[in-house]
Amino acid sequence: MEEEVIKHNYSEKEKTSIFNNEFMPHINSMYNFGYRLTLNSDDSKDLVQDTYLKAYRFIDSFQQGTNAKAWLFRILKNSFINDYRKKTKEPSKVDYQEVESYYNSEDVDRHITPDLRVEALKDMIGDEISNALNSLDVDFRTVIILCDLEGFKYDEMAKILDIPIGTVRSRLHRARNLLKEKLSEYAKQMGYKND
Amino acid sequence: MNTPSKWVIKTIDPMSNSNQSKLKDDCANKHDCLEMLQLILDGEATLEQKANFKLHIDDCLPCFQHYHFDQAIKELLKLKCTSQAPSDLVESIKSKLRINPIS
Repeated sequence: MEEEVIKHNYSEKEKTSIFNNEFMPHINSMYNFGYRLTLNSDDSKDLVQDTYLKAYRFIDSFQQGTNAKAWLFRILKNSFINDYRKKTKEPSKVDYQEVESYYNSEDVDRHITPDLRVEALKDMIGDEISNALNSLDVDFRTVIILCDLEGFKYDEMAKILDIPIGTVRSRLHRARNLLKEKLSEYAKQMGYKND
Repeated sequence: MNTPSKWVIKTIDPMSNSNQSKLKDDCANKHDCLEMLQLILDGEATLEQKANFKLHIDDCLPCFQHYHFDQAIKELLKLKCTSQAPSDLVESIKSKLRINPIS
């Protein structure tokens, strides 16, 4: 992050306390984030474990009582990009210039499945929504996870992802439209007609 | 799920005859409304923006429907796409760090 990092000199007891009381309570969210990024349970465990080990190693850069969840999510996201993605050689598939120009065009919302209805959503009691989310490119998936699953605010997301708030908003908008397109496909398969 | 706390959506049925006459079938400002809708659902709108949007969806059918639909997706995502960490993960992390569990 751009902010100046203040080094704290926590005692072992303080470190343990921060780790147990401020870091570990986020383990479920962290595991879910890892799982939604890698789409693999073992990879997620490795990623989360690696993140917590890093968090402990750099605990002196963490200000006790501040937003531990955002701090941990940022480490996990960076580990995913720097370690996991390189290891699996999965290139980033998103052309952001294309994304931004798409968003800024007047046509952006015209073809977005206005006929998918709440009733169809209510019948999606299985894995449809989960599969739809997983089918999105990872950068689009990520903003939905952070915002809709984890409830991060735009400014927190901007810091976690190292992107401007305007990009957070436009990426979210595009991600949700893509998600709706996917859900609309499922609704059609389930027999709902787009009238 | 957080709903905007300062105002409550009227639970009118937009398709019923009594309301249909008052509701507009098309929104002249759709692009801006969809942007505002996102801010409101994500808890990023100001009180004034929320109030204005509430007035708007009281008589704009597409925006009213969009609002409820996007809210339903947001709730469904939270319900269906979260999970618990495997129990061995916590133990594994702590054993690597050799720190004690919460006493």
